[in-house]
Amino acid sequence: MLKVENLTKVYPGGTVALKDLSFEVSDGEFLVIIGLSGSGKSTLLRCINRLIDPTEGKVILDGIDVTASKGAELRHIRRKIGMIFQHFNLVKRSTVLTNVLNGRLGYLNPWTTTLGIFPGEEKKRAMDALKRLGIDDKVDSRADALSGGQQQRVGIARTLMQEPTLILADEPVASLDPVLAHSIMQYLERLNKEDKVTIVCSLHYLDLIQRYATRVIGLKDGIKVFEGLPSEINREKFKEIYGEEAQDVRATALE
Amino acid sequence: MQRYIPFLKALRKLLITLVLVVLIILSIRVTEPDLVKLVSSFPKAESIMGQLLRPVFFDRESEKVTVSQVVPVPCDSVPVPTSADSGSRIVLDPPCGSPKDVINLRGFDLPQNAEISLRWILPDGGLLSIKNIKTDDDGEINMPLEIRPITSAIDGKAAQISFEVTLPNGKLVVAKTLKDVINAMFVTIFMALIATTIGTIIAIPLSFLAASNITRKGKLGTVVYYLVRAFLNIIRSYEPLVLATIFAMIVGFGSPFAGVIALSVTTAASLGKMFSEAVESIDTGPIEAITATGANRVQVVMYAVVPQIIPDFLSFTIYHWDINVRISTIIGFVGGGGIGYLLSQRINTLQYSQAGTALLAIILVVWALDFLSSEIRKSLV
Ligand SMILES: Nc1ncnc2c1ncn2[C@@H]1O[C@H](COP(=O)(O)OP(=O)(O)OP(=O)(O)O)[C@@H](O)[C@H]1O
Ligand SMILES: [Mg+2]
Repeated sequence: MLKVENLTKVYPGGTVALKDLSFEVSDGEFLVIIGLSGSGKSTLLRCINRLIDPTEGKVILDGIDVTASKGAELRHIRRKIGMIFQHFNLVKRSTVLTNVLNGRLGYLNPWTTTLGIFPGEEKKRAMDALKRLGIDDKVDSRADALSGGQQQRVGIARTLMQEPTLILADEPVASLDPVLAHSIMQYLERLNKEDKVTIVCSLHYLDLIQRYATRVIGLKDGIKVFEGLPSEINREKFKEIYGEEAQDVRATALE
Repeated sequence: MQRYIPFLKALRKLLITLVLVVLIILSIRVTEPDLVKLVSSFPKAESIMGQLLRPVFFDRESEKVTVSQVVPVPCDSVPVPTSADSGSRIVLDPPCGSPKDVINLRGFDLPQNAEISLRWILPDGGLLSIKNIKTDDDGEINMPLEIRPITSAIDGKAAQISFEVTLPNGKLVVAKTLKDVINAMFVTIFMALIATTIGTIIAIPLSFLAASNITRKGKLGTVVYYLVRAFLNIIRSYEPLVLATIFAMIVGFGSPFAGVIALSVTTAASLGKMFSEAVESIDTGPIEAITATGANRVQVVMYAVVPQIIPDFLSFTIYHWDINVRISTIIGFVGGGGIGYLLSQRINTLQYSQAGTALLAIILVVWALDFLSSEIRKSLV
């Protein structure tokens, strides 16, 4: 179970990206974070695995205070938290296989991996992950030779290598077309349903939210302005989160 | 005030133009151009250029042959020798004589158009030059010879006329100059190679220290970042030639070592700068992603940073090797050894054809490396 308590993040420039944010996520949930650009979605997700250090507040995962841990302990916590990015964040010049194996680094001997040696069983694990995502034929391609949708599947395969209990997905489909967006979301849904992985995902499209989320949190200027079921997002709520101008977007998205 | 602005602007333009004109006049005066000399020394230039453009590659293998003929003075002092009738030979007509006589000297089957130094070998073994003469198109000479009293036979031993010729035997051999040039060229290439290697090894850690996205964090990091940057910039402002001169004074002129030190230092500085820019331009996405998997710092560097910078680092290093070969050819001129040193020596001793060989070698090698390095760099992207 993930608990976020009074989380506040003030960037060095003085921008308050998150303000006294608290919520809980139970195991097996598919929580979607929505909010305008700049509302603090990325900051929130990065505070959970400590890619960003929050200014105040706590993040507690399965009873362990993530915000207080450091060094090896923090790395052990991170191993169990997968992360998926809008721009995939693959090492473009490395092969698909290497990119997927990168997800396993936290589990492996730092010395042998520094020399570029991965045990055979890890390569098999990587192949299995790629098969599961249907791109095992691309295993030897360079990452930048793949299409966006394929790259995001490699990103998910990399996350699978971590055997995560929680996946943070930061706008995982924002740079993909609608059809691909659904296929990527379906992979996440399967991880959520089959592997019982808790998912915290930021999204922009209302139809995706209605289709995949079990619960939704709305952010505005770093403040939680909505928390509830996807079906509870009505006209008023949407206007509150996205502002007046968003009306049209919602209208088309709800159809 | 407003009204004056166009006027002031025009005045400023005028002033800048004036300053430029003065500067140009000054620079013409200090460089002392002498167009008359450029034209008047044309014949000299033509001869030098002619030799430079006729580089030496091969020599004809040759044998040195001494051609001599006994000359009885006076005629009855010793038996008159019979002269050979083939091969390089001297034929006298008459075959002997008394002092003050003038006889005819002919030479046959000699190299064509060759300079020959005729001399007497006196009965006591002393040498006496007669004259230098050029053989004609058939390899013959024909001249009057005055018999001097000093050539009179002593105790039954007669004087001889002799000269040495180098007779080409037709075989082409690689000229010694060419061998020297190839050796010196290898010295230069390896000088550049070792300097590039040393420079690269030093540049790698420096570049990370001089990369803002890696080092410029916290107070200590910022201080280190600015110090290393300043250090690199200061070193970079020294020309390799100046450094090579300084090191040549320390370790001795003509030694490739001086050039290697100088090149290593400048390579470290300029590659350090170039590498640091490559490090600064890396995509931080993969760093974020691999950090998020629970990898440690070293693993993040190995798997997120290194794959991104390797092609750039390799390409910069090869490019610099190419540059270093060029610089090290010149470094020889200031005492750094290698092909430049050989070239400066040949020029100083007026051996322009040999200098031409060295120049041609430099042009070929620089061209070849330029091509090679750009091909390799293309394949790295
Ligand atoms: N590294 C940073 N330094 C300073 N300010 C930052 C930094 N990163 C983000 N911010 C600011 O914090 C606020 C929240 O940014 P964040 O990236 O979390 O928003 P977001 O909801 O993810 O937006 P988007 O939908 O555009 O990705 C913004 O005002 C942003 O300008
Ligand atoms: Mg974001």
